Amino acid sequence: MAEKKKRRRADADDDDLPFKNRLKPDSVILQTLRSLTGSAATASSSSGAKTLTLADLALSSTCREVADLSLSSVQSSIESLILRIARSILGGDGFAFDVPSRSSANQLYVPELDRIVLKDKNTLRPFANVSSVRKSTITTRILQLIHQLCAKSIHVTKRDLFYTDVKLFQDQSQSDSVLDDVSCMLGCTRSSLNVIAAEKGVVVGRLIFSDNGDMIDCTKMGMGGKAIPPNIDRVGDMQSDALFILLVEKDAAYIRLAEDRFYNRFPCIIVTAKGQPDVATRLFLRKMKMELKLPVLALVDSDPYGLKILSVYGCGSKNMSYDSANLTTPDIKWLGIRPSDLDKYKIPEQCRLPMTEQDIKTGKDLLEEDFVKKNPGWVEELSLMVKTKQKAEIQALSTFGFQYLSEVYLPLKLQQQDWL
Amino acid sequence: MEAGGSSESPADQPKRGKSKTPRKAKDSVLKQKSPAEFFAENKNIAGFDNPGKCLYTTVRELVENSLDSAESISELPVVEVTIEEIGKVKFNTMIGLVDRERVDEELYDDYETAKAREKRLAKEARNQEIQAKNAALGKKVKEPTPAKAMKGRGEASFYRVTCKDNGRGMPHDDIPNMFGRVLSGTKYGLRQTRGKFGLGAKMALIWSKMSTGLPIDISSSMRGQNYVSFCRLDIDIHRNIPHIHIHEKLEKKEEWHGAEIQVVIEGNWTTYRSKILHYMRQMAVITPYAQFIFKFVSDTSDKSMTIKFARRTDVMPPVPLETKHHPSSVDLLLIKRLITETSKQNILQFLQHEFVNISKAHAERLIGEMGPEFQPKMLIKSLTDQQIVRIHQLFRQAKFEDPIGDCLSPAGEYNLRLGIIKELHPDMVATYSGSAQVFEGHPFIVEAGVSLGGKDVKQGLNIFRFANRIPLLFEQGADVVTRTALKRINWSSYKINQMQDKIGVFVSIVSTKIPFKGTGKEYIGDDITEIATAVKYAIQQCCIQLKSKIVKKMQAREQQERKRNLSKYIPNAAGAVYDVLKEMAQSHALKKKRYEDEDATLLGKVSTRLITKDTLTEKLSQHVEQVDYEMALEFATQSGVSEEPREAIYIHSLDTKSDFIDFSNSIFCFRLTR
Repeated sequence: MAEKKKRRRADADDDDLPFKNRLKPDSVILQTLRSLTGSAATASSSSGAKTLTLADLALSSTCREVADLSLSSVQSSIESLILRIARSILGGDGFAFDVPSRSSANQLYVPELDRIVLKDKNTLRPFANVSSVRKSTITTRILQLIHQLCAKSIHVTKRDLFYTDVKLFQDQSQSDSVLDDVSCMLGCTRSSLNVIAAEKGVVVGRLIFSDNGDMIDCTKMGMGGKAIPPNIDRVGDMQSDALFILLVEKDAAYIRLAEDRFYNRFPCIIVTAKGQPDVATRLFLRKMKMELKLPVLALVDSDPYGLKILSVYGCGSKNMSYDSANLTTPDIKWLGIRPSDLDKYKIPEQCRLPMTEQDIKTGKDLLEEDFVKKNPGWVEELSLMVKTKQKAEIQALSTFGFQYLSEVYLPLKLQQQDWL
Repeated sequence: MEAGGSSESPADQPKRGKSKTPRKAKDSVLKQKSPAEFFAENKNIAGFDNPGKCLYTTVRELVENSLDSAESISELPVVEVTIEEIGKVKFNTMIGLVDRERVDEELYDDYETAKAREKRLAKEARNQEIQAKNAALGKKVKEPTPAKAMKGRGEASFYRVTCKDNGRGMPHDDIPNMFGRVLSGTKYGLRQTRGKFGLGAKMALIWSKMSTGLPIDISSSMRGQNYVSFCRLDIDIHRNIPHIHIHEKLEKKEEWHGAEIQVVIEGNWTTYRSKILHYMRQMAVITPYAQFIFKFVSDTSDKSMTIKFARRTDVMPPVPLETKHHPSSVDLLLIKRLITETSKQNILQFLQHEFVNISKAHAERLIGEMGPEFQPKMLIKSLTDQQIVRIHQLFRQAKFEDPIGDCLSPAGEYNLRLGIIKELHPDMVATYSGSAQVFEGHPFIVEAGVSLGGKDVKQGLNIFRFANRIPLLFEQGADVVTRTALKRINWSSYKINQMQDKIGVFVSIVSTKIPFKGTGKEYIGDDITEIATAVKYAIQQCCIQLKSKIVKKMQAREQQERKRNLSKYIPNAAGAVYDVLKEMAQSHALKKKRYEDEDATLLGKVSTRLITKDTLTEKLSQHVEQVDYEMALEFATQSGVSEEPREAIYIHSLDTKSDFIDFSNSIFCFRLTR
């Protein structure tokens, strides 16, 4: 019955959906995609051998990067730090932390690496100062808690960590920010501290991987997909016959694609972090890209924030720039929805929203960012957005029917290889 | 209406209407209205909307006239306002009307029908029952609100408003025309004045004629006159001429110059009490050099009050000068009037002397620009209409220097500041006086004050607006000052909390022409960029001054609280460090891990409890103490010397008449007043 209904609706829609008649048969699209993936794979395998690192570049200013550290080395660096502090206190000098600054003045975009890195500026965080007493106390407390985690070799979430001393931390943003300071200070990734964030990202599609020893087949995870595991170190054995990875900004679009089993029509892996990506999703995406060597296509809203999210996947966030080497995925293509699509796909006026003052300002600021400037196509699209002062969400495509996205828009985009 | 588009004459319409008695449309007769008649019919234009507002406006107009009068002779103003409540009975006896009892009760609006009475009684009974129940349950019993005194429509309240000042007074013969003729006045011309249209006192008279029918009493005496002029008059509204009852010279009993005006009007004290008091208070803020005595006299003694707003300074702003018109502010009609009034012969002299900012050379250039038919020696009275239009056009297009604004008389930063301190007693105050700016050829000056804290100030923004040194109380919402303070000032950037702090914003604008919006002269529109920018700038300047004070205060507070704030965190930090040490000591003792010499001894001390959490706490406290001491010393050396600038205080001079007892000594003398 349901099957019948679906078919009937599909038949009825056939003529209505705009641009549908331009679609070639799926097999033709697949053919072009395959040839593309093949060439991309060979290209990346030939050049992939020499992925640039910070050390390879002779940068004028020294930059800071962190590495994965073993539990014991984290523990011993905490211990030596605490011993230094204890001696300082006993000597009657109070104590102070020398914390790498994570302010935007201390960030640097390196075009060769296509990501943001942290410069080497430090700030002193003395205890006996009204403005820093709080932070230095919280830092001490976090160090102690992480020392405990290392000794016991267990993982906790950021929320757990916050709840161990709510009275001191007051709200989670404070403990979270100090946690990033600590990993910067110790020179290790946040995952090495055994602190994880709650699961946020999900993945569905042609992917098989092992999570903590269990094999997971992401085609058989139902509609919701598989939650991306927070400890990336337990993920391995990735296998896939997908042709590309589809990065989706929003949950709604993700559900549509998952329910329509888009990945069966065009073999792909669909990932979303439901908005701004968390660390786990970024790590997972990078791992997929590195191991499977697939092109990554991004489907985000046509507004400044969509592009910002794209940039976080691509070049890293300022907040976590110290670990950008592990968190960023190079070479993400902007598939849609791009400002030029609004007219190209004749999205009706009532589905477009006027940009607010704030939106326009964000858009103009983005135009100044290096990661946008390096891609002339993006600059053009963003300039168009700022000029027309219109934005649209992925859901705007639903005006032509809820399935327009999976039935027409994406296939057409793929057929035309319309990405930047 | 079916006659909508047809060509039938409107005079036919009533016949087709529903009314059965066919009315004949009156032939439209050309009638003329005297100005007095016009204002009597449209009294809301002058702020006489309802009895309450009429009372307020009457007080306002009389007070402002008094101030203008005293300032015009550079005398420190003393203004005495008395409002006397007059009961109906008293009023009737005053006008010689016999108070009649109601005979036919049902004739009146407030007559209670049997049904209504039944209802009311039932309600009262119910209320009593509830109250009895509440009382029985021990609940707090609310005082039963006394049933509102039934007030019929006819039950008007009457007030005698008296205003006495020490101003210039009026020439004996001019008095009737000054009060009995609407739109006649001494304040016309291009000058910054409180009043403008020659309406105020006359409107009060028209209102008294409309509501009570009683005339106005005027006593006046000028300097050097040995008599007091007394005049009782009312106004012939249809002819706009005074109707004089008494006009005589009386013997002067005491040394006095000024005017005393007494008028009986209908009003409403209950609803406009707070407005009138606000007005007096704000007037005292903007004119601290004046002394106001405000009295309200009533038969019921608890309603009576006397408020004295004492003088706090004897520095008075200069008398505003009458100035000539600025070429870019005149219109065609004004040019024509100037031409008829001028004493100058030719066009060159006319331009040079009847306008500001036109020098002789400039005038010659202007005449050259007007065209070949204009000659500098042309007789001014011989100009044709077209030629005058040409002059006007040139005035519109040509560029002129801005008027300099020395004809204005702002309240002065000192007076504004004093006024704010005197009436609000704020914790902090900052004032700023802008330089003259120009709007459509009229110079204006914006002065602002911002205060924090104080008595009788509510949380958030309290806005006080003044235009030509009179307070504006109504229609605050749309005013340029309100809009600016609410929307365009980022208070938080000056460390001021817009919601929590008691902020007083005072803005005084003076100009030869205040661009009031609406009819009531109650607010200045937000659409004039020049004024809006000047207001914003002035408020910001005050805020900048305040900010440094606030920051200093916050620093001082921080100084006091620093030790406490630091010490608060000692247990947490010491505890965390000690916990790690303890764990390390344990694994050290169990030989799980090796530590090098110095560290090993430290951990050894931890295991043997030579070093405990308390040791760390103590050491940290010592350190905090030391740092606090050092910083306090530093703060003291930096800020110790600078003191608040001292302010001159004004000591009220004593009346010479009081008698003293002197206790003299070789060094000093005590003088006690008796």
